[in-house]
Amino acid sequence: MAEYILEVKDLKTRYVTRFRENVYAVDGVSFKLKEGETLGIAGESGCGKSTLAMSLMGYYFPPLHYTSGSIIIDGRDITGEDPEVLRRTVLGTEIAYIPQAAMNALNPTRKIIKYINDVLVAHNIRLSRTELREMAEERMRLVNLPVEVLDRYPVELSGGMKQRTVIAISSLLSPKILIADEPSSALDVSSQKLVIKMLLDLIDKGLVKSMIFITHELPLLYNVTKKIAVMYAGQFVEMGPAHESVFEPLHPYAKGLMGSIIVPSEGIRDEHLVAVPGTPPNLKSPPQHCRFAARCKFRQPLCDSVVVPERFSSDGRLFRCLLPEAVLRELKYEDQIKSKQEDAEVELDVNIIPFAEDNGDGDSGKESGG
Amino acid sequence: MKGYTRYFRNRILWYLLTFAVALVLNFVLPRLMPGNPVASIAAGVTESLTDSKAAAEMMEEYTRAFGLDKSLPEQFLVFIGNLLKGDLGVSFRRYPTPVVQILKESVPWTIALQLPAILTGWMLGNLLGAVAAYRRGVFDRAIFPAFLFVGAFPSFGLAIILLFVFGIMLRVLPTSGGYGFDLIPGFNLQFIASAVRHYQLPFWSIVLNTIGGQAIGMRSMSIYELNADYVKYSRFLGIRDRRIVGYVFRNAMLPQVTGLALSLGTMVGGALVAETIFSYPGIGSTILSSIKAQDYPMISGATLFITVGVLLANLVIEILYGFIDPRIKANQQE
Repeated sequence: MAEYILEVKDLKTRYVTRFRENVYAVDGVSFKLKEGETLGIAGESGCGKSTLAMSLMGYYFPPLHYTSGSIIIDGRDITGEDPEVLRRTVLGTEIAYIPQAAMNALNPTRKIIKYINDVLVAHNIRLSRTELREMAEERMRLVNLPVEVLDRYPVELSGGMKQRTVIAISSLLSPKILIADEPSSALDVSSQKLVIKMLLDLIDKGLVKSMIFITHELPLLYNVTKKIAVMYAGQFVEMGPAHESVFEPLHPYAKGLMGSIIVPSEGIRDEHLVAVPGTPPNLKSPPQHCRFAARCKFRQPLCDSVVVPERFSSDGRLFRCLLPEAVLRELKYEDQIKSKQEDAEVELDVNIIPFAEDNGDGDSGKESGG
Repeated sequence: MKGYTRYFRNRILWYLLTFAVALVLNFVLPRLMPGNPVASIAAGVTESLTDSKAAAEMMEEYTRAFGLDKSLPEQFLVFIGNLLKGDLGVSFRRYPTPVVQILKESVPWTIALQLPAILTGWMLGNLLGAVAAYRRGVFDRAIFPAFLFVGAFPSFGLAIILLFVFGIMLRVLPTSGGYGFDLIPGFNLQFIASAVRHYQLPFWSIVLNTIGGQAIGMRSMSIYELNADYVKYSRFLGIRDRRIVGYVFRNAMLPQVTGLALSLGTMVGGALVAETIFSYPGIGSTILSSIKAQDYPMISGATLFITVGVLLANLVIEILYGFIDPRIKANQQE
């Protein structure tokens, strides 16, 4: 057993459009996950969350293409493996996926039990009729579904039932890692809670070793996951323990994002909700410098000209910002940057930045003298 | 299941009503044609008679024999009465051959030509559409448009082109008839070989005409299904690509079943063209000569047969639909 159940190193994937343009939807994501840990990934629409979820499967088909980086599941690097081997030995067994649109994820003309059998057969598991039924019934009970569901077609199930059926099917082969892409976004609040609880139960029961949640509903995440990552324009801009990431975010974007949600608590009436004006950059040609700079209210002149690497705080949290950790810790999104002289800049941590390390961006190095 | 039975009871009632209306039309419409069928038939017989009185008696004799001396409503009652006994009357043109016997002679030819041709065209069209959607490349850019082009020809035009190329220029296939002129129908090798050779041109003219139209529907349905969420999910579950293509093909096929029902409905229209151009025996040729001769019982009998055929084909497909698509079944049960 490797130390980490999942290790992702500088993963880059892209979409190739009909016009042969590249859209760099996941652009250098790294993280590690230990057994039993859960990671939540948050971000606005179009930031690459869902693409990251699909990219982590290691199984690429057009329009999504692999560029570079590695995905190591329990010590086994799955990138660059033969797709057929990957299909048989990784998909569904090592890493499994719960799609965003669980409502339409099931083949409408196949009975649930037959579909379950298809999944098993695809992995060379051949069960007799009674064995199959026994196994399927057990899984249905696990997600609180009546066993009659097995003999139904997806059209005959309610939305919540389909959702639970999908969960049962995705976890059928006891994958080490389960990726849930907005598993609850189409459900009402009470069903959401049930679905989340059900997913966490899978870990408790040992069917799944680790889980990744993807959502734009932050209040959901910090109750559920151990770690939270905030994604922006194809990159992680912040990652750390759930509570800190939500209540004391470091990155200016994360501060804005967290400030835009209401967490019911005492004195909430007096707080103002914040909004982050502007739109994310076009991922066809993402800026070489800080990708959030154009929308950042704490922006410094240097932000527009140097590559911002992933940096780590004293307690090991990831943030992708040039401002010093100490400044970021004090800063509230509502604040203006305070400085003693009017036009003086805040001192940036430029000296610790390895310039243009990965992109070879020419002009960023020259301006490092400041 | 109870709702299901009720649904079909209702459907069958509707089919019966349609049948009743069609029956009246089948009877009335031919008889509204201007002209007198007896005149043209009697003309041949009375030609040699010089006595005009005898000629007039002859005419009256025929009119009585055909039952045309009675009023239209009376004729209708006789028609219905005979129909219940399975008797469709006697053909005027081939007096005194019963209509039922003529149908027995011609219908097998039409069904043997049209049914395999339509089914083949339908299956090849679906296959081409699915392959064009899935494989793209040359299938999508060359073969599919070529069949679309051929399919857009009017059926008689395509038939004449085939006739000209294979029958007259290359002289590899016979140009007319269902079998050699010198042969008597029977179960012997010579007759079967001749029938198969005569079968080719009418068969392929129908097949080629069907493929394009079926492929275009299948292609767009397949593209739609290939992008469906269940395809992506199945892939991420590690299900083999071949199996996923199977799902897609099956689901995209469903609307095509409607296309098949429609084709079967137009079967006879197609028969008329193909059978006329290739002088092929069958119900199409029979209807054409009956209309020319104003052979009322024959026209009514033949169209009645077609009506029943189309209604039955539709009913069968509607029942089949419920079995192949659970979504339709759920709808039928409501």
